[in-house]
Amino acid sequence: MTTALAPPLLEDTKLGPNAGGLYERLNIWTGLGFGIFLGFVAWVVSHATLQGSNWGSDMVVTCTMLGWVIGFNIGIGTFNAPIRWMLGHDQTHEDELYVAGVGQGRHRYLKYCTDHKVVGTQYLVLVMVLFAVGGTLAMMIRTQLITAHSSFLDPQTYNAIVTVHGMVMIIATIVMVSGPFANFIMPIMIGAKDMAFPRLNAMSFWVIFSAVPCILATFFLGGVNAGWTTYAPLSVQAPPAMDAFAMCIIVFVVSVTVAGVNTIVTVVTMRAKGMTMGRLPIFTWGSIIGAGLGLYAMPAFLLAMTMMITDRVTGTSFFVAAYGGSGWLWENVFWIMGHPEVYVILIPPVAAVLEIASTFARKPVFGYKVAIAGFVAIASLAIMVWAHHMFTTGWAPNLAGPFMLTTELISIPTGIIFLCTIGTLWKGSIWTRLPMYFVYLFIWNFIIGGVTGIYLSDVPADQYFHGDMFVTAHFHYTLLGGAMIGATAAVCYWFPKMSGRMLNERIGKVAFWLIAIGIQVTYFGQFWEGFQGMPRRVAYYDPQFLSANQMSTIGAYTLMAGWLVFLYMMLHGWRNGKIAPANPWHSKTLEWKVPTPVPLENFLVDPVVTSDPYTYGEGVPDGQEVPDFAPSDDPELVPAGSAGSGAQTDAGGDH
Amino acid sequence: MSFEEQVDDIEANTILGGEPFFSRAGGKIFIIWLVFTAIGVLIGVYAPHHLLPTLLSPQGSDVWKTIVVFTVLAAPVAAFVYAVSFYSLFAWRHKGNQDEPPPDAMPQRGNGPMTVVWLAISSLLVVVLLFWGITVWNTQQVTHADTLQVNVTGQQWVWTYSYPGTGVETRTLELPLNRPVEFNITSVDVTHGFWPAVLGVQVDANPNVTTIIRTTPNKLGNFTVRCSQLCGLYHAFMNNKAAVVTPQQFSTWLQSQGATQAVADQSAGVSSSASSPTTTLPGVTTATPTTVPGETATTLTPDATAPTTTAPATTAPAATVPDGTTTTTGPADSTTTTAPA
Repeated sequence: MTTALAPPLLEDTKLGPNAGGLYERLNIWTGLGFGIFLGFVAWVVSHATLQGSNWGSDMVVTCTMLGWVIGFNIGIGTFNAPIRWMLGHDQTHEDELYVAGVGQGRHRYLKYCTDHKVVGTQYLVLVMVLFAVGGTLAMMIRTQLITAHSSFLDPQTYNAIVTVHGMVMIIATIVMVSGPFANFIMPIMIGAKDMAFPRLNAMSFWVIFSAVPCILATFFLGGVNAGWTTYAPLSVQAPPAMDAFAMCIIVFVVSVTVAGVNTIVTVVTMRAKGMTMGRLPIFTWGSIIGAGLGLYAMPAFLLAMTMMITDRVTGTSFFVAAYGGSGWLWENVFWIMGHPEVYVILIPPVAAVLEIASTFARKPVFGYKVAIAGFVAIASLAIMVWAHHMFTTGWAPNLAGPFMLTTELISIPTGIIFLCTIGTLWKGSIWTRLPMYFVYLFIWNFIIGGVTGIYLSDVPADQYFHGDMFVTAHFHYTLLGGAMIGATAAVCYWFPKMSGRMLNERIGKVAFWLIAIGIQVTYFGQFWEGFQGMPRRVAYYDPQFLSANQMSTIGAYTLMAGWLVFLYMMLHGWRNGKIAPANPWHSKTLEWKVPTPVPLENFLVDPVVTSDPYTYGEGVPDGQEVPDFAPSDDPELVPAGSAGSGAQTDAGGDH
Repeated sequence: MSFEEQVDDIEANTILGGEPFFSRAGGKIFIIWLVFTAIGVLIGVYAPHHLLPTLLSPQGSDVWKTIVVFTVLAAPVAAFVYAVSFYSLFAWRHKGNQDEPPPDAMPQRGNGPMTVVWLAISSLLVVVLLFWGITVWNTQQVTHADTLQVNVTGQQWVWTYSYPGTGVETRTLELPLNRPVEFNITSVDVTHGFWPAVLGVQVDANPNVTTIIRTTPNKLGNFTVRCSQLCGLYHAFMNNKAAVVTPQQFSTWLQSQGATQAVADQSAGVSSSASSPTTTLPGVTTATPTTVPGETATTLTPDATAPTTTAPATTAPAATVPDGTTTTTGPADSTTTTAPA
């Protein structure tokens, strides 16, 4: 090994005293400070000028939230580079290295940092915090429902908790894979030095970060009493908390849209030499299909919430029937977002599951192209099924048949994904490490979620189940049992690369069994409630539903215990875990071929890819190798099946 | 069979890159699949009956039948996934040192015939599900000329029922047995969900809009109407008692709510003499009406004669017409939304 030819690490660059400019002074604390300051200013100004008007308090809350979000992003540095650029002096190369985190050690995790690995790690922590919040709220809900007429929560608090639990979990699940893994892992997977738009990448994180306090603020502004679906006109009449809720969504959509564009552009433009679209790891495909679907779905959410705010703040009446609007308009716009969003959540973790199954079965992904076609078909159909959420609203009964058709059609590509998953396991060398445990749990749960979905797709049966606990159990099986368990598998799989340490699998298996059993008990309890006819989102219920509810609550506590053990395992691993080798799973994708911890700009030498990463058992050399030195400065594709090498990286980078 | 032998076996079978559909593993999986399918079918056939409450209308029975049929159809597919995944854990799991990866398995990148078969089966199942769903849905669309009209108004957090023509307005719902009923549902404030679960129908109560559902109760019994759409603070308490009763009891109940006897009898579809307690047949309150073939077109009319209307065996045929549940906008005939208030 002629290591002498390897270039020096970028992060060891010594920066001048003025590198980074204003960024040197900005961090999360200046962001919080400036956000609170500007929020306060907005509150004072709007309070003084608008409080007397008809929609005064709504206007005040909207302005305050807007002030907070803009202030936070000014304080963290989101707008620095664009403003400098507009003023005519762009960032210098040293500035860019500073913003990428050079020379800041761990502080870079608390700053506006363009390194995609920092952003990915930030996302991972944020998602864990969101799950902790949402999970705590879920435990409060289940505790309230342990008896038929519990006095643990009053109905107003209960409704507010139900709403925030739903929305926080939706936000968390949308970004749980596309945040941490599509940012940290996916660029390395395709042989890129960073995302296509590193500044937008950092922005997408800090914008979503600033959205979170808005939704938590709803508890102090009267609480949103309308559920996460916030059906009008109830939500139009809701306390000012609804304005904060809507602002949270609007800001969140900005973040998701920016991140989605970034993901797609990265994959389209930043692939390494030889990394054709047909050689992309399947997880990359899942990421871009999920991101693309998000770009379709999320604007409708922004639109819906903007209309909601104008209804509340300026007295328009898009959704108020009394003034010529229609609640059905809200329901349509909401679900045009709402159903594709389910697949925005689902597709990336399912793709990650296929990736993991391939590594741990030591087999190629079964039906790689078929699986991609399945994802594309799911995404295409997903935009045409929204009205199955409205079968019982009374809107357009003539469309019952067509929407039954599209909804049931979607089970065909979903079935294909199942075939690809079990086909990958078929006669594999099943290596039962911790990620694989969760892959199996994903399969077992998701099939239950899928089968119970077909009852709900059928209009006559949906007339019984709509709005009752059966629906709740069904979508928790798909989103928790399916998507979130898939994401859990992804956490276990990529944790060694992200943290540089191994997880303690003995602790992990305790967590696994608690989670696996907890999910079944919790949601079988809820299926039972649903069959008996218990409506959703009720704080009190008829004593005939008692046994089912108690079963569900016991299961929920088990589940919570499992997640706490899992959290302990992660924190323990992060601090005290064994140092991870670069490729603990002997996987063939590129992210495992770079050193751990991953250097800035990932590749010391550009990789040249000669085959896809699924050459298990084919007896050919690995086609996705990263050479650690550069024998030639004239990169050339070498024939498939042999390791390639590329040019020495341009240490300057291309931010 | 050792792992190496297994690999040899696999490689011998994969000369063309495909995998024979039946192999030794396939045989065992087939047996596991059969067992799982049988379990699934048994659950599908027996469990819904025990889990669901007593359903009081044809639409309710449709719910039960749909669950049974769908579960039975889905059982083989789900069982296949479970069978393969369980078998893979027991038969193909790498035993021994878990710190090192097992040797690579066979390089199977797909299986065209298997994919096509899988695609064909799932497409076929979707066609069956769709055919079932649309057929049942269409049979529920049949409307009747003579129906009992019930106006339902949702408001935070009560349901109010009024029976047009009788002057009766109540907070409890009673319905006569075997009489087609049409609920005209609206709301005075926010969106509610009118959900008489055991009747197998449900529709939202939207402000300024009237939505309609139709059903024909065909079993006697008590039930609860609940609100299925989160509607604010006391959503959990937005429910009321309801019952399906005999026409005589219904008439008596209407009178107790303030209707005159003549109007009550007319609404209940019984003649005045029939409504007196002496002519009510014993056992009517518990009997499940039997259907009489060939009398499907009979509907109850207000001026039906006393003997016909009091005998359960002859009142029953009204229910043999598969009755419709539909949600249409606007009061039965015309406008979809009333003018803004």
